[in-house]
Amino acid sequence: MVKSCYIHIPFCKKICSYCDFCKLFYSTHYVDKYLDTLKEEIHNYYHGEILDTIYIGGGTPSSLSMDELKKLFSILSILKKSDSCEVTMEANFDSITKEKIDLFQKFGGNRISFGLETTHSWILEKMRRSLDLDYVKSIISYCKEIGLDNINIDLMYAFPEETLEDVSLDLSFILSLDVFHISTYSLILEEHTKLYIEGEKNISEDLDYEMYQLICSKLSNYDHYEISNFAKDGYYSKHNFCYWRNEEYYGFGLGASGYIDDVRYSNTRSISHYLQKKFHNLEENLSKYDKMEYEVILNLRTQFGISKDKFFRIYHCHLEDVYDISSLLSDGYLVDDGKSISIPKKYWYLSNEILVKILEVYRDE
Amino acid sequence: MKQENIRNFCIIAHIDHGKSTLADRILEKTGAISKRELKDQMLDSMDIERERGITIKLNAVQLLYHHQGEDYYLHLIDTPGHVDFSYEVSRSLAACEGSLLVVDAAQGVEAQTLANLYLALDNNLTVIPVVNKIDLPSADLDKVSTELENIGFSRDEIIYTSAKTGEGIDELLDAIIQRIPAPKGDVSAPLKALIFDSLFDSYRGVIISIRVMDGEIKVHDMMKMMETGATYEVVGLSIDTPKEKHITSLKAGEVGYVYASIKSISDVFVGDTITLENRPATDALPGYKPMKPMVYCGLYPIESNKFEDLREALEKLKLNDASLSFEPETSKALGFGFRCGFLGLLHMEIIEERIEREFGIDLIATSPSVVYEVVLTDGTTVMVDSPSKMPKRELISKTLEPYVKTSIFTPSDYIGPIMELCQDKRGTFLNMDYLDQTRVTIHYELPLSEIVYDFFDKLKSYTKGYASFDYELIGYKQSNLVKMDILLNGEIVDALSVIVHKDFAYNRGKVVVEKLKEIIPRQMFEVPIQAAIGTHVIARTDIKALRKNVLAKCYGGDVTRKKKLLEKQKEGKKRMKKIGSVEVPQEAFLSILATDK
Repeated sequence: MVKSCYIHIPFCKKICSYCDFCKLFYSTHYVDKYLDTLKEEIHNYYHGEILDTIYIGGGTPSSLSMDELKKLFSILSILKKSDSCEVTMEANFDSITKEKIDLFQKFGGNRISFGLETTHSWILEKMRRSLDLDYVKSIISYCKEIGLDNINIDLMYAFPEETLEDVSLDLSFILSLDVFHISTYSLILEEHTKLYIEGEKNISEDLDYEMYQLICSKLSNYDHYEISNFAKDGYYSKHNFCYWRNEEYYGFGLGASGYIDDVRYSNTRSISHYLQKKFHNLEENLSKYDKMEYEVILNLRTQFGISKDKFFRIYHCHLEDVYDISSLLSDGYLVDDGKSISIPKKYWYLSNEILVKILEVYRDE
Repeated sequence: MKQENIRNFCIIAHIDHGKSTLADRILEKTGAISKRELKDQMLDSMDIERERGITIKLNAVQLLYHHQGEDYYLHLIDTPGHVDFSYEVSRSLAACEGSLLVVDAAQGVEAQTLANLYLALDNNLTVIPVVNKIDLPSADLDKVSTELENIGFSRDEIIYTSAKTGEGIDELLDAIIQRIPAPKGDVSAPLKALIFDSLFDSYRGVIISIRVMDGEIKVHDMMKMMETGATYEVVGLSIDTPKEKHITSLKAGEVGYVYASIKSISDVFVGDTITLENRPATDALPGYKPMKPMVYCGLYPIESNKFEDLREALEKLKLNDASLSFEPETSKALGFGFRCGFLGLLHMEIIEERIEREFGIDLIATSPSVVYEVVLTDGTTVMVDSPSKMPKRELISKTLEPYVKTSIFTPSDYIGPIMELCQDKRGTFLNMDYLDQTRVTIHYELPLSEIVYDFFDKLKSYTKGYASFDYELIGYKQSNLVKMDILLNGEIVDALSVIVHKDFAYNRGKVVVEKLKEIIPRQMFEVPIQAAIGTHVIARTDIKALRKNVLAKCYGGDVTRKKKLLEKQKEGKKRMKKIGSVEVPQEAFLSILATDK
């Protein structure tokens, strides 16, 4: 049963130099057509399930005008929401306004995720972003005032030439905002981004790791519940847990991905195709084996790990029957607490190594 | 053909001085082959020979030449051009009465020119000095002629040729007939035929190249190998002209092939004497030496499933190369492979290259090793051709290693650097001969293992490529040798163990350890890399623990992409070899072992 839905709003007023998401320059003409097509896509594929989470991501959803947002929310009102449904929208400080926040709340929005990324002007310049720290503070306090206290702030680190001190200052600022959720990402230089093309180089692996450790220690009052996510109790991202628990979700919009009926699909990233209603681009039919792999890869991202009961219920076998994890357990790279198997936090930054070792030896039961 | 009208000769030269091209031109002049049929370097039949400009297998060809109203048979016996095959060279020289000593008109006399000249003189051959490539713009006939005078020829003996244009070839052919003596064998004496080469043919078995010294051999004779005592019925006799011509008998003074349904080339020893079973000669011809591999290395297929293919390739090569030896060997690091023995470094490189090229198997070769002699405390002696066979240190009373006498031929400007190099390589200076004011031959005694390690590359770089060198084995000498192991996280990497002189172990260990640190990716834990002699660590460095390998963000859109990334990492791991708990990329072995060459 699908309980989650992702909506992609690809428009941005500015294109950040590191971004390889599916994005388009904002244009009124396209937004209108886009929303019409989005409506049609949702009508075609949504089967009326009651949803526990809705996530409006981008791009920059907050770049839409008030009228466009109204139109968006009215399209989305077809989606049935459970009583406790978490409705998140991503926003940028240079396009969000109090009015837009009000509108979002009126629609039923109860979580907002801000892309802050950095507080340093030299990095903002290189990222091709802008930020007014006072405006940030006023927006955050406004959200809290109106009861929209489920706020996430995104922080990016490991930017070329960035120092530990820089990261530390960013963290201090974010901590001063006193929000309940913080996501941190080490910059990935992706192909086809401006930064990559301009030949920027990653900072050293060791410095990256030191930054990560600094983050972990400065955010020690938060639960480090997933590799890149920190939150106060009760404010974990429900929507993202849908991904990390390998559960099904709809993905609507340009370039969006979804997971329905054992198929992982991706929508086209071409706006012209999308407007012609050629929605799905890639589909991966999952075998039981594939699903188990996803189960492992995704569940091991969080502190809760893989639930042994759940694994057995879904796949009718035990994890250790299909993967040889005995030496990982004895070496301490995996921990079995009787109910679940997880990666200890001190090895999270090496989790790919551990995942590869798990998936290396597959035994047919 | 009567003996007086036969001339048996060979061509000797330094590599690349135009030996094979000259042979081709002689074939063309005598009408043995038309210009149209002439492929460059007709006598060298393997691609690799043509490319490297060296001859690996011997050939003999009979040419009919008309001179001053008489017909002559010229038997041209081709010889390999490298020191590794010096025994084969010496046997083919023994089949001749004369030799053409070819010198490049631009390069002049080189190390192998001299080495070959001395070999020819040892075999009492009449030597005709030939200055070839006179068509080159850089040819300096006067200088080269003076060099030849300095090594004992008179100026009017020298024939000047251009194998390319054909200039001087007639004069050369006349000189062959006039100066090289006819063979003087006794046709009525018991048969004595020298085996100077052999070749495997899948239809006829081993084809043996022989020079009949005395007596006569006929089809259906029962022949006997004097060294092994084996007897065979002669199935056929032939000679190349260069097309094969079948004949019924070979008489004293003649050269040709004999085949007798011999199944393995290992049953035929180059240098052995063939006689007849029912009328045997009393003594064999002098000079027979069994061929022994001097250099060993492990050959492993890079793709481990190619082990059987490698075996097949070695077996096929062995059919035509009795001096190649191999036995299966297992390495924890490299898997299944073979310990192979070679006559020398070039022989080893040729075999490796042929396996890769003709059989399409990519190889990892371990460091070449010479054969060490180890005397144990209980007085017994063991021969050690692989570090893995080195006895424990406490059981060893002394170790010996093979030494060679090298002749390094160089412009005198480089005497200093060469002497420095030889000292560094544990050399003992013997003497120095000036060929003229600018050219000198330096003689050193050096351990063969140093030659096998990197001497040649160093020599080339110290002298900008001007020096050439040659060596001969002179025997074993006591030496302070140790087995040095490389350990990764405490585990010995067997493929990287070497036997090395104790004084050099430290430096060598340091180099390997540093190199490995560069190549081995960081692991989940710190990995010490050590070089050790027994339990004594002589060099150490650590690979720091891996700090980061993580999918930083993973949300709905990233899921499939991240799985693909992990799959890619998984594929990468599959190509790693596991040494204990450490994953080592194949390239690590390749690059370490490549620096050893």
